[in-house]
Amino acid sequence: MTHPIMHQRPAHMTVDSHLRLSIAPRWIWALAALGAAGLLGGLLSGWLQGDDLAHFYHTYLATYSFFLSLALGALFFVLLQHVTHAGWSVSVRRLAEILAGTLPALAVLFLPIAAAVIGRSPVLYEWADPQAVQADELLLHKQPYLNAPFFALRTVIYFAVWVFLARYYLKRSLAQDDSQEPQLTLAMERASPLGLLLFAATVTFASFDWLMSLEPRWFSTIFGVYYFSGAVLGALAAMILMAVALQARGYLRDSIQTEHYHDLGKLLFAFVVFWGYIAFSQYLLMWYANLPEETVWYLPRIQGPWGVVSVALLLGHLLIPFLGLLPRTAKRRKPVLAFWAAWLLAIHWLDLYWLVMPSLDPGRIVFGLTDILCLVGQGCLMAAAAASLARGRSLLAVGDPRLGESLAFENL
Amino acid sequence: MPVSEEPLLPNTEPRDELAGVLAQFPNAATLVEAATAVREAGYRRWDCHSPFPVHGIDTAMGTRRTPLPWLVLGAGLGGAMVAMGLQWWTNAFDYPLLISGKPLFSLPANIPVAFELIVLFAGLTAFLGAIVLCGLPRWAHPLLRSRTFRRVTTDGMFISIDATDPKFDVQATPNMLSSLGAVSVELCHEPAHARTIPSLLVWAVVVAGLLALLPPLFIARARATKSDQPRVHLVPDMDFQPKYKPQTASGLWADGRAMRAPVEGTLALGDLQSDDHFWRGKQGDGWAAAFPVPVTDRLMARGRQQFNVFCTPCHGLTGMGDGMISQRALRRSDSAGWVPPLSLHVEEVRKQPAGQVFNTITNGARKMPGYGAQIAAEDRWAIVLYILALQRSQNATLEDVPEAVRPQLR
Repeated sequence: MTHPIMHQRPAHMTVDSHLRLSIAPRWIWALAALGAAGLLGGLLSGWLQGDDLAHFYHTYLATYSFFLSLALGALFFVLLQHVTHAGWSVSVRRLAEILAGTLPALAVLFLPIAAAVIGRSPVLYEWADPQAVQADELLLHKQPYLNAPFFALRTVIYFAVWVFLARYYLKRSLAQDDSQEPQLTLAMERASPLGLLLFAATVTFASFDWLMSLEPRWFSTIFGVYYFSGAVLGALAAMILMAVALQARGYLRDSIQTEHYHDLGKLLFAFVVFWGYIAFSQYLLMWYANLPEETVWYLPRIQGPWGVVSVALLLGHLLIPFLGLLPRTAKRRKPVLAFWAAWLLAIHWLDLYWLVMPSLDPGRIVFGLTDILCLVGQGCLMAAAAASLARGRSLLAVGDPRLGESLAFENL
Repeated sequence: MPVSEEPLLPNTEPRDELAGVLAQFPNAATLVEAATAVREAGYRRWDCHSPFPVHGIDTAMGTRRTPLPWLVLGAGLGGAMVAMGLQWWTNAFDYPLLISGKPLFSLPANIPVAFELIVLFAGLTAFLGAIVLCGLPRWAHPLLRSRTFRRVTTDGMFISIDATDPKFDVQATPNMLSSLGAVSVELCHEPAHARTIPSLLVWAVVVAGLLALLPPLFIARARATKSDQPRVHLVPDMDFQPKYKPQTASGLWADGRAMRAPVEGTLALGDLQSDDHFWRGKQGDGWAAAFPVPVTDRLMARGRQQFNVFCTPCHGLTGMGDGMISQRALRRSDSAGWVPPLSLHVEEVRKQPAGQVFNTITNGARKMPGYGAQIAAEDRWAIVLYILALQRSQNATLEDVPEAVRPQLR
């Protein structure tokens, strides 16, 4: 049986040294050690703050949800390419597969948060403390959902779904490198609609559980989409930076071309607007209704120092990158696009920091060593996970039947 | 290859003007090469035609970037400004309308409309701009008269060079195209009559234009003149229904009224209200001092709740006459005509029997409107009870406090 997507693979495309990531294991170990040291340092610094680790836990969660969002956004990218039967993206899809492949490592990094909940500690989530729940009618009402055992069960389900999906796609894509079996592409395409549905449900509820329940009396039905929009934006920015960094070291120079950067830039631009659309949709309805149970979340975020961050997000997460990414040339020039990708990655972290930290201290911004060490620690560990996954493997889906189509791709 | 000077279509008239030259190429690669050569030869008014997008043809032709993005950007910004101006003018300036205490003009509320107008203006500009920049609308193109050109929708690759191009030469240009590998080269002519609009169409447009003026004329006349006729209902909705309304006439009955009086000796349900004490606060000729309903904690709680809803805006939570409405009225610069509500603790109110207070709530007094239509009779009695309690609280003596708790005072 032939299929219209089955183009001939270009003859010159073999897995040569320009495609296989070569990195010495000692560098990966060094990264991992640096990451672990960073996290331990952050823990120590947080402990020295003398607030029963409350700041450490909150900044850990903010940074964790940042790195998790990159992996989840990348998983979405992979699913999206398969469900839309996309040809252009084959040359960059492996980068997303590798990013999504760090999800098992991220599951391990979630353990401290799970431990706090299972230990019934209110350090992060007020509802985790049975005594606090008994004293509050609203928390009592939400107890059937917001309780430690169910939370743990849901967490297991989320990671099971994500790790399964990420491995499903990475495994088949890697297998195709050698076998060039077109049936694998068809299998991945067939699985993608269901995968997207599972992805949507798990990401929505995970963001409810881990981020929205920080303030358990507040609710927003669009919150899952908000997290999702930032996640895809972050993943696209990370992929662009990965591609630029790898090309600077000599990899993928023939396969990722201006046209692919242009398309990644277009998606990046689209998600800048999408994030703004979702963020404003959430804000407008609450601003308009002006109901205390809804505005209670925005009040500390539009006043005082967090109000400054809110304005910074409006400018830095929407208006400035909107204008910056609008011109065609901005998306086709590698340094310019890399600049905006780095900018958006940073502002995406700030967005999540702004989401989490006011729950701890609505009146102050305490950014310091603990935050930096958490960021460095988790970042190094995720980089180590990605590097160990990619080591010795092709950075390009060389066996994909649509690779030729991708390489010949041109924006008209 | 010799260039055919023969007209392509038999009906080509002698007045026809030369429109340009059309050359067919065997494949896309040759087309790209030929396009490069034509560009390098310095031609400006020419085009390539192919049944599918040919990669690299833009670069080969040296196509400049279209100005359309700038038009779309400008239209989007214009849409934003129109939306903001419209909302400011209508809501904040020309007819200020306060909604739920929101500011008359505030950004969050105006962004959805601005967003929609940005999209609308930008979208329409992209659509119409693309049409106009493509040289449309136009009646016909001389190329469409060529038989060979019909293959452009299947497998034909063509280059056409316009006769208005400064470098165009009726001999040299076709020869150059032949030398570039064209499989056929032909001259295209535009019939003289193609540029004139058919007279039937002209007349149709004129008539349609005149007819289109009629509705605005009628509207203008209607606006400038007076009439004793009801206004025209273009969309009647449910304004006219086959039913009688109060105070309308009807020929069905001898008295000519649509409203019928109730049958002698009957009352509508709930209209009896024979208990003077309960419904009007009277006993005999004077105001009743006692309550027609049992005085309970429940009644007191209900009275407090109803008092707080209906009375506190003017009389205040304690009945001192310092409600928010009065406070705000007194703060205004034009407060001279404002009569502050009576304190419920002055002597003349305190000596009123319960029935009289009930009557005041029901029918109003001085500037206070009656609340009989809004508050149920039993709730009005509950309010009376609560007012009595308020008065007692403001004029209490030591004897009112139970002996057991007296030591807790002060």
